[in-house]
Amino acid sequence: MVDVYMVGVGGQGIITASKIIGDAALLAGEKVVLSETHGMAQRGGSVVCTARIGERSGPLIPDSGADIILSLELLETLRAMCKASKGTVVLSSTEMVVPLSVSTQKMRYPSQQEVVDKMSSVAKDVVMVDAAGLADRAGVPISSNVVMVGALAGSGRAGMDRRFFEDAVRANIPRKVDENLEAFALGFAEGKKVKP
Amino acid sequence: MSGLLDAGKGATVLLMGNEAIARGALEANLSVATTYPGTPASEIGDSLARVAEQAGIYFEYSTNEKVATEVAIGAAASGLRAMVSMKHVGVNVASDPLMTFAYTGTRGGFVLVTADDPSCHSSQNEQDNRFYALFGGYPLFEPSSPQECYDMIKKAFEVSEELGQPVMLRTTTRVAHVRGPVTVGEIAVGPKKKEFVKEPSRFVTVPAVARARHLVLLEQLSKARLLAEGSEFNTVSEVNGGGPRGIITSSAAANYVTDAAKDMGLRLDILKLGFSNPIPEGKVSEFLGAHERIVVVEELEPVLEMQVRSLAQREGVATKVFGKMDGYLPRAYEFDQAIVSQALSRAFQEDLKSPERCELPQDLPTRPPVLCAGCPHSATYYAVNKATNKRALFATDIGCYTLGVAPPYSAADLLVCMGSSVGTAGGLSKVNDLPVIAFIGDSTFFHSGIPGLVNAVHQGHRFLLMILDNRTTAMTGHQPHPGSSRDPCNPAAISVSMEDVVRGCGVKWLKVIDPYDTSAMVEAVKEALEQDSVSVIVARRECALIARRDEKGAIAKKHSVDQEACKKCRTCVTKFQCPAISSIDKVQTIDQALCAGCGVCAQVCPYKAIKEVT
Repeated sequence: MVDVYMVGVGGQGIITASKIIGDAALLAGEKVVLSETHGMAQRGGSVVCTARIGERSGPLIPDSGADIILSLELLETLRAMCKASKGTVVLSSTEMVVPLSVSTQKMRYPSQQEVVDKMSSVAKDVVMVDAAGLADRAGVPISSNVVMVGALAGSGRAGMDRRFFEDAVRANIPRKVDENLEAFALGFAEGKKVKP
Repeated sequence: MSGLLDAGKGATVLLMGNEAIARGALEANLSVATTYPGTPASEIGDSLARVAEQAGIYFEYSTNEKVATEVAIGAAASGLRAMVSMKHVGVNVASDPLMTFAYTGTRGGFVLVTADDPSCHSSQNEQDNRFYALFGGYPLFEPSSPQECYDMIKKAFEVSEELGQPVMLRTTTRVAHVRGPVTVGEIAVGPKKKEFVKEPSRFVTVPAVARARHLVLLEQLSKARLLAEGSEFNTVSEVNGGGPRGIITSSAAANYVTDAAKDMGLRLDILKLGFSNPIPEGKVSEFLGAHERIVVVEELEPVLEMQVRSLAQREGVATKVFGKMDGYLPRAYEFDQAIVSQALSRAFQEDLKSPERCELPQDLPTRPPVLCAGCPHSATYYAVNKATNKRALFATDIGCYTLGVAPPYSAADLLVCMGSSVGTAGGLSKVNDLPVIAFIGDSTFFHSGIPGLVNAVHQGHRFLLMILDNRTTAMTGHQPHPGSSRDPCNPAAISVSMEDVVRGCGVKWLKVIDPYDTSAMVEAVKEALEQDSVSVIVARRECALIARRDEKGAIAKKHSVDQEACKKCRTCVTKFQCPAISSIDKVQTIDQALCAGCGVCAQVCPYKAIKEVT
């Protein structure tokens, strides 16, 4: 059983990322249950999706229960901290989407180093991925979500073969297929950096 | 998966609960489907809207849930299968026809699909709609997974036709918005036409008919109870070999029970009720008799628990029953595995390894949902605050614009339900001296704002109604409404003129203003507030997300801050709100990728320091 806790900001394509993971699981012959955030929260708010691969009934992941935290946004990585335990692998995009509270309530956006330090104190391994840069390099700047799915696949922690993920990318993103597969491949290489 | 119709018989595909309901209905001889969008039910209608023409069913986004229900009743009373879907509070709107439709019963299968929202993820309350099933006399299905959504909607149509009664299927957010594998069958939609056979002694509910039909309803409900007794959705399963401990559960809670019992290594039996109203008394009694301790695990209200306890008393069994009536489980918010584990450990006196406490770092910047870059509502709120100096009472309504409650606008003082802004503004204006302004979206105005406006004109209420007309039902995913210029499901749909409706209600002072023109809006608001009767401003500008998607609107006019000219007054973030503008250490910048090019910030800046990018 593998529990993937996905976080990001409304509009970053987190639901598409979770659908790719879900379809990959299905293609690999695994049971899977996903949960998603829809509606009002999607308007630029913090968004959480979950993917539970294996014999699980409930879609929600308890505190300390995530095997993998997959984050599309730096601050949201930190907000997911309580889902981590000593066995958790954190794969986080370095992308920053500065919330309005930083401007209006003078709250401070944490540095990348702070996020890495805090997450490392609770998790097994933390890998930061320049998802936006890699997506750009692949020719699909909006596909940092695909890069991060690639990183998940590359980490080997989802326990599913690469080709299932690639087929799921094709099934879920009909446009710019080659570029998206390149984004996936670039992310895959980053995922390899996870400690064995 | 690209389309709902693509998967062939026997295929297993990943579907959201809502999509599974749509797919199941399309295999269950569905002829007519209606809805008014609302989270977490919206994707049922959206899925059907996309395939309605190809599949050969009639689908409409109706003006509100009551009308949607009535349209579906018209079809079902004629003998075709019809489904109406809505969020939980939508059933409040539709409750009038629903309560009496249970008396007439139906000829074609009729299923009301309602989606509850425990924890109010996207709602103004967390009411438990299972009470409607008890209240109105509706056989009730409660799926716990996408596969069950698919299986139960098909069964619901069968049961409806077998009993000649409308049936209800109730999901929750964690069922409707969960995705899981669903093995599907063959698409089989119903006929398009069926002649209504007149039968006024059944379908015209004058008192004499209603009195007779109430007895029919009660008789059909007792038959429904027999169906529930034998239902394949009401089953007992063992965890770790079973034992003298039992759980009675339904819906999403059943999933948490299964996971908790497995993880805790508990030996117990689970009676899961998928066909839960009328409650299968025989099955429940037998389960009670076979166990020493029983915990009833259900989210929100103790609907099953009250019935289980009453049954235990009636049957004289000594089984100890635990639940939320004795404080073992909470009555508010959605459950998770941890909440359920804790209740089971208390009720069964089992030690539970308490999880390690985790403290999030203090003062993490919050990230609540906000109005989008280029959102016309944002411009409107800025102008209203400028025109009134915030010295006004704001009655607001349900939609994206409800986000105007947050600073810097703080433009919301009273909100209860869809359409309520107009009526509550009337009441506020009668007993307050401050000017009163009501905000309502275009879709919400057509949904239930019109009667309030007629009342305001007739009673001589004095307030300003601002119809925030972004040409769509934005919050729930851009569904069309009666004023929309295009309806993807109905190319022949006629766009109803907002101005004609407002004038037709008797309003004498009406202006249509583009919110991107902030000075015009400020002037209009001031003038409107001087009127002696109800005044209406239609703030009309297409939703920025649609404008961006269609690559029209003002995209070319992206703006940036001229740092030389910027006096660091921060007006652009203290009086206005745009996700593209950030202000860090008094340096204001505009994210060019996010900027929608609306140019409102340039009008907001007192020093003309925000300029068009050339």
